Amino acid sequence: MLSYLLLSGLTTGSIYALVALGIVLVYKATGTINFAHGDQLMIAGFLAFTLHVLLGLPYLVALAGAVAGSFALGAVAAQVGFRAVLRTSLVNVVLATLGLAFVLKGFARLTWGGISDYLSFPPLVRPEPILIGDMVLLPQQLVVTAGALAVMGLFALFFRLTTIGKAMQATADNPRAARLVGIRVERIHLLAFAVGAAIAGAGATLMAPLTLLYPDIGFMLFIKGFAAAVLGGLTSLPGALVGGIAIGVVEALAAGYIHSSFLEVSAFVAIMATLVLRPRGLMGGPPPRRA
Amino acid sequence: MRQSQGLLRAAALAGALLAPALAAAQSAPGVTADTLRIGSFGALTGPGYLYGRLVMNGVEAVFDQVNARGGVHGRRLVLVREDDRCEPGAAIAATRKLIHQEQVFALIGGGCSNATIAARAEIEQSGIPFLVFASVHDGITMPRARNIFSTALTSTIESQAQLAYALEQGARRIAVVSMRDAWGRARYQPLMEEFRRRGVSPVADEEITPDANDATPQVLRLRQANADAVIMLLYPKPGAVFLRDAARFGYRPLAIGQSGIADPAAFEEQVGVPGATARFVTISMVRYTPDMPEVAPWRDAIQAKYPGDRLSVFNLFGVGAAQVLVEALRRAGPEPTRERLIEALNGIRDFPTDAFGGGITCTPEDGRCNKTVVWIQKEPGGPIRVIGTTTVR
Repeated sequence: MLSYLLLSGLTTGSIYALVALGIVLVYKATGTINFAHGDQLMIAGFLAFTLHVLLGLPYLVALAGAVAGSFALGAVAAQVGFRAVLRTSLVNVVLATLGLAFVLKGFARLTWGGISDYLSFPPLVRPEPILIGDMVLLPQQLVVTAGALAVMGLFALFFRLTTIGKAMQATADNPRAARLVGIRVERIHLLAFAVGAAIAGAGATLMAPLTLLYPDIGFMLFIKGFAAAVLGGLTSLPGALVGGIAIGVVEALAAGYIHSSFLEVSAFVAIMATLVLRPRGLMGGPPPRRA
Repeated sequence: MRQSQGLLRAAALAGALLAPALAAAQSAPGVTADTLRIGSFGALTGPGYLYGRLVMNGVEAVFDQVNARGGVHGRRLVLVREDDRCEPGAAIAATRKLIHQEQVFALIGGGCSNATIAARAEIEQSGIPFLVFASVHDGITMPRARNIFSTALTSTIESQAQLAYALEQGARRIAVVSMRDAWGRARYQPLMEEFRRRGVSPVADEEITPDANDATPQVLRLRQANADAVIMLLYPKPGAVFLRDAARFGYRPLAIGQSGIADPAAFEEQVGVPGATARFVTISMVRYTPDMPEVAPWRDAIQAKYPGDRLSVFNLFGVGAAQVLVEALRRAGPEPTRERLIEALNGIRDFPTDAFGGGITCTPEDGRCNKTVVWIQKEPGGPIRVIGTTTVR
């Protein structure tokens, strides 16, 4: 039973980690939490659904379309909605992202809400369960876990090896100093929101066969992803992965060994306990300064 | 002279006799010499439109048929629709508008339970006869409001039927997997009462959240308890996750759903694992699937009136409910009042419709008029089949 529960926690935690990665990326670059991240993910899922299921395009084209569409949506939202408020108070930024979340949810309800209550999305790989040793799992669960690892790896390289990545890091560390050395901080912020949304696009397309699609899915995923990001440390990409998997595993063990009614509460108890001992999360550093 | 006096007396007498009836007809809101205005509220937009607009389309198809045959006592039936968007506030506004502004004679409607419950007080206070066509929450019909009736199965009736079905199928070790939100509790509590009433104990009692993406712990615990039947008080999403994960472990108990999972074909797709729904049965409010020849006239009527629409079970909810209302309107007589309609509804006994699993019976003590659940099943890759009915008494 333990091995099954650990595997269950790992696969569910990978979903949380994929959401958390986007939240952490935006926080690292801008010092703000994008409360619309879950709903950007939901829109990306519906976009992939439209391309793959309704228009019959191949899965990988739908994936690319969802990533590109989300990137564009993130960029437009940052330019139109967040650019002005980023210079004001944190409360205004939070309200702006919450407002965007409601707009996206309403748009999804109007656009896709009439098709069905929960939309199914065909998996990238075969739907039948496979046996690995005595472990039974769905191939799509492996895809999600691999996707979370790949996204984390790609962005770790992006931050270390590319000029834009380094500029993002510099902006996050000290926006004023970054501005002094010629980095266009507003453009970096815009890029962070757009790239964060693109991660949501990739994540949504990978996880949609497991989570199904419906307009309210974004909030639940955001809550779990945010919890994973906080547990891992809001400034750490590996922390997002560790936090997501830790929450998934704690939930599975509590539900399996105590009772299923403990599943929801157990993760948050674990987060509270961790934050008492390590206020910056498991792998977090100091918070970024706001411009 | 004497003849004209006689005529005058006769006219006076006729006037005296007819005056109360005419006054009643004139005073009954929504009733004119040639029309009867019936109000309907439910979701016309948004995802809840299945339980609103589509059901109303079924009602309208019946009204069209009745009108083509001369109406009810010579009056055409006119349906006035209001959108409640499945929102409590909008439902209250919609019913107020229908009752006070549109001055309808009676109401037939109610899609989403939370919205209909919110509108209940307004409807009860106004005394307008109300026939619920889709909302299932017991709080709409219980405690009894004298002017509220329902042809929808209620959550208590469904829960009782689920346990009855498990026992009928010879299940010895019955487990429950449920959501514990307001929707789930409305089914869970009566189910537990039914377990106690029958002297049976569930071998496992597990919980899943509406947004769950994994049900491995629940599946492992149910398998450990060796449950041979699982009563599912779940929405399609957690239901699909549960059956998907059960299939992963090769655990295939008899899985008994309810009308929250009303479309086994869509559910099979949502589960996504071939063969995982092979032992899944669920409740339908109606005894026919849309492709059966028995409902061909309604299929033709719906498709003619709403081009692009295909007949759905939600249309049939409306067909059945409207047939009950029309029968009660007939029985209320040529000079209908709201009181007469309530009386007529209370007199409906074992009334057959073209939709529901059994006869409809309403009484002054119980406004839950439909107590027959229909069991449906979809063989993997095959059509949806009606496999039986259970009547709860």
